[in-house]
Amino acid sequence: MVQIKERFNQISPSEFFYSNRDLAGFSNPTRSLYTAVRELVENSLDACDQKGILPNVHLMIKAVDPSKPDPRHYILTVRDNGPGVDADHIPLAFGTVLYGSKFGLKQARGMFGLGATMAILYGQITTNTPVVVHSSVDGKTQDRFEILLDIQKNKPVIVRHETREVSKAGLTVSICLEGDYSKAGSKIRDYVYETSLITPYATIKFDDPKGQSFSHPRFVKEIPPPPTIIRPHPHGVDVERIRRMIVESQFDIPVVNGAMISKICKDIGVKKDADFAKIMSRTAKKWKGLTRHVRIVLAIMSFLKMGFDAISRVRIEDVDVANGLISYWDFATSDTKSVPMSRDSPYYRQLANTVQGEQLAAFLTKRFQRVGVSTAAKFSEFAGFKPEKRVGTLTNRELVDLSDSLQKYDAFLAPDSSCLAPLGAEPLEKGIAKFFEPDFSAVVQRPASAYSGFPFVVEMGIAYGGQIPSGGPHVYRFANRIPLLYDEGSDVVLKVVNDIDWARYKVKGDPPFVIVSHICSTRVPYKTAGKENVADRPEIERELRLALQYLSRKLAGYMSKRGQAEAAKRRANLYAKYVPMIAQFCTELAGKKKEPAYQKVLRNTSFESMRDAEAASETASPRQSKTGERGASNGQADDGASGDSRDQNEDTEPAGAPDIKGSTSDTSVGEMKAFDDTGGTLISVPGGRKKAAARRSAASSKKARSSKRAAQQRQQQQQQSRKGKKALVAATVKVRRQQQQQQKSASSHAGSSSSSRRSAP
Amino acid sequence: MAGSAKRKVAKKPKVDAATKAKLKQKNILGELKGHGARIYGELNAGRFPSFSIPSRSVNNIVFDDATRQYILGSASAMRSSHNSSQLRSFTQLMWLAFFANRLTKEKKSSTLRDVYYSSQAFAIEFENQSESDNIIVDLEAVTSRPREDFHIFPEERSTIFGDLSVEYTIPGYEGKTMNLSNHPDGYSIGPSLTTAELVDTSAEIVIAIEKGGLFTRFVEEQVDKKFKSIIVNTGGQAPRSTRTLLKRLHDEMGLPIIILTDGDVYGEHIAMVIKSGSANAAHLRELTVPDAKWVGVWATDIEKYKLPTIPMTESDIKRCHDLKSDPRYAYGVWRKELDVFLRLKRKAELEAFSKYGLTNITDKYLPQKLELAKSL
Repeated sequence: MVQIKERFNQISPSEFFYSNRDLAGFSNPTRSLYTAVRELVENSLDACDQKGILPNVHLMIKAVDPSKPDPRHYILTVRDNGPGVDADHIPLAFGTVLYGSKFGLKQARGMFGLGATMAILYGQITTNTPVVVHSSVDGKTQDRFEILLDIQKNKPVIVRHETREVSKAGLTVSICLEGDYSKAGSKIRDYVYETSLITPYATIKFDDPKGQSFSHPRFVKEIPPPPTIIRPHPHGVDVERIRRMIVESQFDIPVVNGAMISKICKDIGVKKDADFAKIMSRTAKKWKGLTRHVRIVLAIMSFLKMGFDAISRVRIEDVDVANGLISYWDFATSDTKSVPMSRDSPYYRQLANTVQGEQLAAFLTKRFQRVGVSTAAKFSEFAGFKPEKRVGTLTNRELVDLSDSLQKYDAFLAPDSSCLAPLGAEPLEKGIAKFFEPDFSAVVQRPASAYSGFPFVVEMGIAYGGQIPSGGPHVYRFANRIPLLYDEGSDVVLKVVNDIDWARYKVKGDPPFVIVSHICSTRVPYKTAGKENVADRPEIERELRLALQYLSRKLAGYMSKRGQAEAAKRRANLYAKYVPMIAQFCTELAGKKKEPAYQKVLRNTSFESMRDAEAASETASPRQSKTGERGASNGQADDGASGDSRDQNEDTEPAGAPDIKGSTSDTSVGEMKAFDDTGGTLISVPGGRKKAAARRSAASSKKARSSKRAAQQRQQQQQQSRKGKKALVAATVKVRRQQQQQQKSASSHAGSSSSSRRSAP
Repeated sequence: MAGSAKRKVAKKPKVDAATKAKLKQKNILGELKGHGARIYGELNAGRFPSFSIPSRSVNNIVFDDATRQYILGSASAMRSSHNSSQLRSFTQLMWLAFFANRLTKEKKSSTLRDVYYSSQAFAIEFENQSESDNIIVDLEAVTSRPREDFHIFPEERSTIFGDLSVEYTIPGYEGKTMNLSNHPDGYSIGPSLTTAELVDTSAEIVIAIEKGGLFTRFVEEQVDKKFKSIIVNTGGQAPRSTRTLLKRLHDEMGLPIIILTDGDVYGEHIAMVIKSGSANAAHLRELTVPDAKWVGVWATDIEKYKLPTIPMTESDIKRCHDLKSDPRYAYGVWRKELDVFLRLKRKAELEAFSKYGLTNITDKYLPQKLELAKSL
C-alpha cells in the first residue's frame, strides 16, 4: 500500500491499470478472455485452499449474442464452493483495484488482489455492464451484488444489492466482457486441463460457448496443508525492504477505535465526552501508571489538540521526528494535514522514542524468521552494531551496512518453507500418471531454497513413453499451482530444459516425454504482471537444474533398462528368425529329411529374453513395481525358490559334466559355453527368474562341483529354516533334486546318457 | 611336329577323367555333409551350434619357411549361433555351405557376385557384396579349400594357348576333349577349364606372361611351337583359377613354369604371387607353384638390354621398400632386383623390346631367358 501510494499518488490505482491494462494481461480480446478466466478460477481455488475446502469450480462462458462474429461479448461465470466473501467486503473486494487479502508473505496464486478486479474493470470498459457477485458465507443467506467501478476514484458503485436464502455456501462471479473465444478457446481448455493436473484435489468443470462440456473430477482426496503467513528471511532482503520494515516497527501506533477510547477513559478516569483540556490534565496526573499504547494515543492527541470524537475521525499517517511534524488523513475532508510537534512538550519524547523504533536485537528477532536471541547477538557482533541500537536512528549509510551484513552472514538457517504449499511428490506423480499414462515417471521435490529472502520450492516430474506423443520434451510449467501457457520462450524453465544435453541421458530422436515443473514461492518472480513467465533468478535456475538433472538421471536409468529390454526382445527375434534357417540349411547339408528339433534352442532363448525383459521392466516401470509390492509375500517365496533352484542346479552340473567329455573330444571354450547355456535349462524350472539363477550357477559350474557337498548341506539347512509357503517350494525342489541325483547316478553308469537326462521334467 | 612329340602324363596311372572328377566332388560333398551333420546334431540336442574359423587377422598370418608361403597360424575364432552378434554371420556361413553344396552337387558354376544375389532368394541378407565375399573366404578357411572347389569362380578371365588336351567334366560336356591350340586367341580359363582333366601335352614348358598384347605376339610368333610351350596370359595379377591351373600343369603334367612380367616392382610381385601365394589367401595352400621361375623383365635387364624406361612413381618406390621387408624377398634374384629397381628408380614394360623390332622379344630375349631359367 505504502509503495503504491508513494509512487502513484497523483492517479488512482484503477486509473493506472485502466491505462496500462497490457501489464495485467488484458491486451486484446483473445488474451483478455483467457486472463479473465484465469483470474476468476484462481481466486476461487485460492479461497478454497485457504479454508481447506476441496474445491468444486464451475466455469461457464456464454456468448451474449451467438449470431455475432468474434470478438463479441461473452458472459463469464465462475462458481465455487469456497467460503464466500462477507457482504461488507464485497463492494471493496470487487470494486477496488489493489484491495485484497493476499498481501501477506505466503504462497497463493494471486498476490495483490489485482487480477479479478482487473477482469471486472476490463469487462466494464468493454461492455459497460456491472459485475454480478453472489456470495454466501454461512450457506443460508446469499448476497447478490451488481457493482460498477468508479475508475477515477478507485471506488465501488453498488448498482443493486439483494439478499435471498440458499442452501450452499460459495461465491459466484459473473462478468460480461468482450472476448474472442474462437482464438482463446484452445488456451482456455489447456488452462483448465493443466490446472486440474496441478490441482488434483479440485473438481473443475468447464462449459464452453459451443455447448461442449469439459469435466475434470478430482482424483486426490486430500488437500495439501494450507500455507501460513511468515516473516521474511534475513538473506537477501534489500535496503528498501529493511527501511520499510523499520518504518512498520516505528508505527506501532494503536488504532483509535471505540475499545481503545473506552480503555483510555477508564485509565485516566474521564468520560467519553470529556473535552480536550480535561483529558490532558487527567493525563498529566495519571501518566506514570499508563500503558505504552495509551501513552502514545494521548501524546498524539496532545499535539493534534483533539478530543476523542475528533481523533476517531482521522488516521495518523506519519510521525516525522526529523521535521517535527505529525501528518494525518482526515476522513471528513479527504486530505492529508500536518501539525507541528513542539520539542518542548513532555509528550515529545514519548513519540520520538516510538519513532526511533525497536532495539536492533528485538527488531531482528521479531521481524525476521530464523533469528533467535543468540543469532541476533552473534549477527550484531558480525555486523558491528550494538544490539541495543534503536533501528529508527540508523543512518542511510548504516542501513546499507546492515543490509549488506544480512546478505553476507551465512549462519542463518534456511528459510522457513511453511509459508509454501507445494503439491507434494505423490499427488504430482498421480497427476502425471493420470494425465499422460506414461511408461515411466519420476518426480522430485527439492528442499526449500530462497531468492531475495523469499523462500521457494521446486517440484518437478518427468514422464516417458506410454500415451505421450513424440516430439518432446513437452514442458508443462506451473507456478504456485497456476499453469503458465503464454510466453514460453522467455521462461527460466525452458532455458534450463534446453540447456540439457538429452543424448547424455540416452534420450534420442523424437522422444515421447513430458516435463512438469512447478515453482512454489511466496513471490514467484514473474517477468510481467500477466504471470506467464518466470524470470531467471540464479537461485531458481539452480534448483530447477538440480531437479531436472536428478530426474534425467532417473530417466537415463529407465532408458537403459528399456534399451536392455528392447535389445533382449530384438535378440529373441533374431533367434526366432535365424535358427529355423540354420535348421533348414543344415538339414539339406546333412542329407536329412526331417529338420532338427531346434524348438528347444528357441525356447531357451525366449526364456532368456523374457527374463531380461521382465528384469528390465520391473525396475523401470513404477506401476509394475507397485504390483510387485502388493504381492510381497509371493515375491519372498519366489526369492526363496530361486535360491533353491540355484543350489539344486549346482548339484545337477556334475551330471552334465560327463556329457561334455563324451561328446566333444577337443572342447573349445565356445562349446563349453554353449553347453553351459543348455545346462541351465535341463532342469525345466518354470519361470524366467529361476533360469537366471541357473545361468549364474552354470557359469560357476567348476566351483560348484568342488563345493557340491557343502552346497547340499547348506541347502538342507536352508530348507529346514524355511516355513510356510517356502516349505512347499522347498519340497518340490527336494523332489527334483532326488530325480536329478538318480539321473546323475544313471548317467555316470551309462557314460553319456544324454537322452534320459533330457527327458527329465 | 606336335603330334609325334606328344607325351602322356607319365607320373600317375591313367584314371578316367570322369571318375577322378567324381571322386573330387565326393570329397567336397562329404566334407560339407560332415559340417552339416555336426550342426544338425547340435541343434537336435538343443545346443547352439558353432563353427571354428581360423583367424585371418594380420597377427595370425605367418610366413612358413618350409612351404615358402604365407599361412595361417594356429589361432582360430569361434563363431557361435548363441552369440546374437554372430548369429547373422553364422547363418550366412551356414547358408553358403548349403548353397555350395547345391552348386557342387548340381555342377553349376557361380561367381562372387552371383552368390551375393543368390542369397536373396533365401532371405539371407548381405548388406553388400563385400560382406558375402567375406563369408565365402570364411568357408574357404573352414574347409581349407578354394572357392573354385565349390564352383564359385572369379569374374576375371585369363587365357591359355598351346598344345594341351583336356577332357571336360562339366555337365553337358562330360568326356568331351579339346586341344587348346585350336583357337589362336587362346582359351578363357573359366570354370570348365579349371575343372577339366588334363589329358596330355607335347609342351615342355609353361610360359606365363603378364599382358594380353604380348600373349597375342607370342601366339603369332608361334612361341608354343618354337619352344614347345603352353602360353598363359595372366592378365595382370593372376586370378586364382589361373594359379590353380598353373599348379596343376606343374604338378600333374610335370611342366616347369616360367613367368614373364613388366620390368617393375608390381611385375616382380605378380611372379611372386604365382610362386608363393598372397597373404590374402594364406588360408589356402593349393594355389602356389613354389618351383615357378621369374625370368624377366628384371631390373638388371633394363641396363643389359638398354631398354627404354619410364621413371618410377612415389608409390612404386614405396612398394619396393614394403616388399623388402617381406621375407620372401630376402634372398636371391628377388632381393637383388628390388635393390636394382631402387637404385635405378626407373622401370620398363615388356613392350619396351619393340624399340628393337616387334619380334625382338621372341627372337632374342626369350631364348636367352629360357636358357637362363634352366640354371635358376
